[in-house]
Amino acid sequence: MLAQLFNSTTIPVLEQVAGFAQDRHQVLAGNLANIDTPGYRTRDLPPELFEASLKKALRARDQNNQPAAPGGYRRPSNPLAEVRGDVKSMVRHDENNTGFEAQITEIAKNQMTHSLAMSVLVNQFQLLGAAISERA
Amino acid sequence: MISALDISASGLTAQRTRLTAIANNIANISTTHDESGAPEAYQPRFSVFETDDAVRGSHGAVGVKVASVEIADVDPRWRYQPYHPDAVQEGERKGYVAYPNISVMTEFTDALEATRAYEANLGVIDVTKEMVQQTLRILA
Repeated sequence: MLAQLFNSTTIPVLEQVAGFAQDRHQVLAGNLANIDTPGYRTRDLPPELFEASLKKALRARDQNNQPAAPGGYRRPSNPLAEVRGDVKSMVRHDENNTGFEAQITEIAKNQMTHSLAMSVLVNQFQLLGAAISERA
Repeated sequence: MISALDISASGLTAQRTRLTAIANNIANISTTHDESGAPEAYQPRFSVFETDDAVRGSHGAVGVKVASVEIADVDPRWRYQPYHPDAVQEGERKGYVAYPNISVMTEFTDALEATRAYEANLGVIDVTKEMVQQTLRILA
């Protein structure tokens, strides 16, 4: 019941986005720490790949998300889990060094993504709380 | 998430070690003999960085460490000072003193670079802290 409630909202999606932003932040922090390491190649978790993967998982979820039938509702087994699995293999070793400014920009952009996901997530929980307590 | 802090901290330590070596070089810019008193121009030190697999996050994020602090092998700057206690006593360089071959310009540029890299790591620590706090705010 509760899992069904959560799955009908954007909470699982936001959770994935925030998780990805946190993982990517670690990699970008490593890039800046190694800014003077000879032979170090810039690493990244490409957000485009993550977004494509997330979109695919969402589409799969929406197709399976039929209205509850009298025979009982069957929830698809966590479709977003596969996104996580994909992210692990996304370590990219660039041939060229992207440079200091580019890294800072990426960190700032990544933080904004994280901030956005977190704000909406907090809002979603507040809405759920309002519904449960029957007052806004 | 917390390992991002460790990674940035490893960057701070490495850059500070580098800055120490630079301070060492500038302090010894006129040192003409070694600890035992034998005349020898001070050779500049420089630090070598490498990735540190002991400090790592998920998905290939790695920290940095100082692999070694190397001593350069450069020819000294010769200066004619016959009454200097460290002056060469005989041979074709008689009366010359070996001064360290350290370029203040290079050292200061290096110091500036190390400082900026240090600041960049501090900035990332701020971002990490903010992200963690934001995540914890879900509970509030």
